[in-house]
Amino acid sequence: MEQDIKIETLIVMSVAIFAVLATVAFLVPFEDSNTKLFFIALVTVLTAINVVGLFMVWQSSPTIVDEVFLMTPTGMLLKHYTRRLRPDQDTDIMAGMLTAVQNFVRDSFDEAGGRLNEIRFENYDILISHTKNVVLAAIISTKKPEKLRVELKNANDDIEKAFGERLSHWSGDKSELGDVDVLMKKLLSGKYRK
Amino acid sequence: MELKEILKKVVLLGDGGVGKTSLIARYVVNKFDDKYIATIGTKVSKKDIQVVRPDLIINLKLMIWDILGQKEYSKIRTSSMSGAQGLILVGDLSRPETVRSLEDFWLKEVKLSVGNIPTVIVGNKVDLLKKESMEAATLEAMGERLGYPTLLCSAKTGRNVEEIFSTLGEMLLEGVVSTAKTRKEKAPQTLAEVVDFIVQDFCAQYGDLEKAMLIVQHQFEEAGVDIRKPSKDAVLRALDGLAKAEELTLTKSVARVNLEERQRMVILSKG
Ligand SMILES: Nc1nc2c(ncn2[C@@H]2O[C@H](COP(=O)(O)OP(=O)(O)O)[C@@H](O)[C@H]2O)c(=O)[nH]1
Ligand SMILES: [Mg+2]
Repeated sequence: MEQDIKIETLIVMSVAIFAVLATVAFLVPFEDSNTKLFFIALVTVLTAINVVGLFMVWQSSPTIVDEVFLMTPTGMLLKHYTRRLRPDQDTDIMAGMLTAVQNFVRDSFDEAGGRLNEIRFENYDILISHTKNVVLAAIISTKKPEKLRVELKNANDDIEKAFGERLSHWSGDKSELGDVDVLMKKLLSGKYRK
Repeated sequence: MELKEILKKVVLLGDGGVGKTSLIARYVVNKFDDKYIATIGTKVSKKDIQVVRPDLIINLKLMIWDILGQKEYSKIRTSSMSGAQGLILVGDLSRPETVRSLEDFWLKEVKLSVGNIPTVIVGNKVDLLKKESMEAATLEAMGERLGYPTLLCSAKTGRNVEEIFSTLGEMLLEGVVSTAKTRKEKAPQTLAEVVDFIVQDFCAQYGDLEKAMLIVQHQFEEAGVDIRKPSKDAVLRALDGLAKAEELTLTKSVARVNLEERQRMVILSKG
């Protein structure tokens, strides 16, 4: 159930609670200002606990990654990880098309040549992280892209550091690549989480 | 036997209507609808080719990019071309201007964005030509001058379509050799050592060790191989049986390459 809580919902709830209590504090005719101050302080503390509590609930539920594509910026798939079985999909072609779509969006709409870093659907998000020679795309269905974005970026930076140079003049022979699995497993097992 | 998986990005270029999309459709099983080419300017298809070399099986994955052929659509085309390792230039033999623009426009554009890459020149719609026409000669002269292989083909009849991709595939794999090749040069010497090596090699390639050993035992019995004192004739007979088994679990071509290699080792051994 907590997987559906959005950060926006939490904020709205906290603000609403605070507003109600604050209104009460101002409307009730207190005998003296000390009692009033005490009440307002109490309201503030309660609201803070409320916010922290809700935030911890949100924080503790992980963003579930359904699929990760590790690719080159030219659209060649290096590795694919998935928790779903989709035998009808060819992941090499998916990676190529995902790259083609990014090219299309960038070349059509972004004069400055920026990068598409998210595609949002009703039921899932595709987060895309880029470095010079490495692209990571994660598909998530839990609606919390904020948390994953940082993890994805950190993993991407590490992979770029370790493999970027080799990838910049890669011939396409997968055995020349070396073991990216270590870094990818680190990402998938949540080790990049803070 | 070593197994290599190699990915190569290949693009098809040429004027609109020359038959690029039709050629790809002939050659691969498509996963995405062709409407993507019109909507986002590109469609990606794939074809696996198995290439057997001495001591080496290469699984070549050609990622084939079909890119919208409008000359003015250059920005997206350049993005899609990025990282291309092979090029197929397509002209329509029934329209001379499309053949001319291969050298005048398309090749220039590729040179600017990705440089020199293995290239095949294709004259499509050969089915529309009467006999050996002017256009075919022009195209072949162009290929000769540039040093690229030239093929006349038809997406309609299927003529030479496979050859386009296999020719480019061979060019892309030039210089790819088994990393174990140098190591393997010092092969075992006596017949007993050779037999030992073959049994190990067979089991390794078969995967299931227990089953592989049963097959080896059976084939050796059938061929009358005396393990303690094998004769070359008997071992050679057993090799045929092993090859039959490999045809079923591996592929015909792999089984044949293995058989020839093992026969050579047996014949050359000190027995
Ligand atoms: N006669 C004939 N027609 C062809 C051949 N290849 C393609 N066409 C036709 O040429 C037209 C354009 O083909 P298409 O593949 O869309 O060209 P593209 O713009 O280069 O992708 C279509 O109507 C095809 O049916 C061929 O080998 N022979
Ligand atoms: Mg087309």
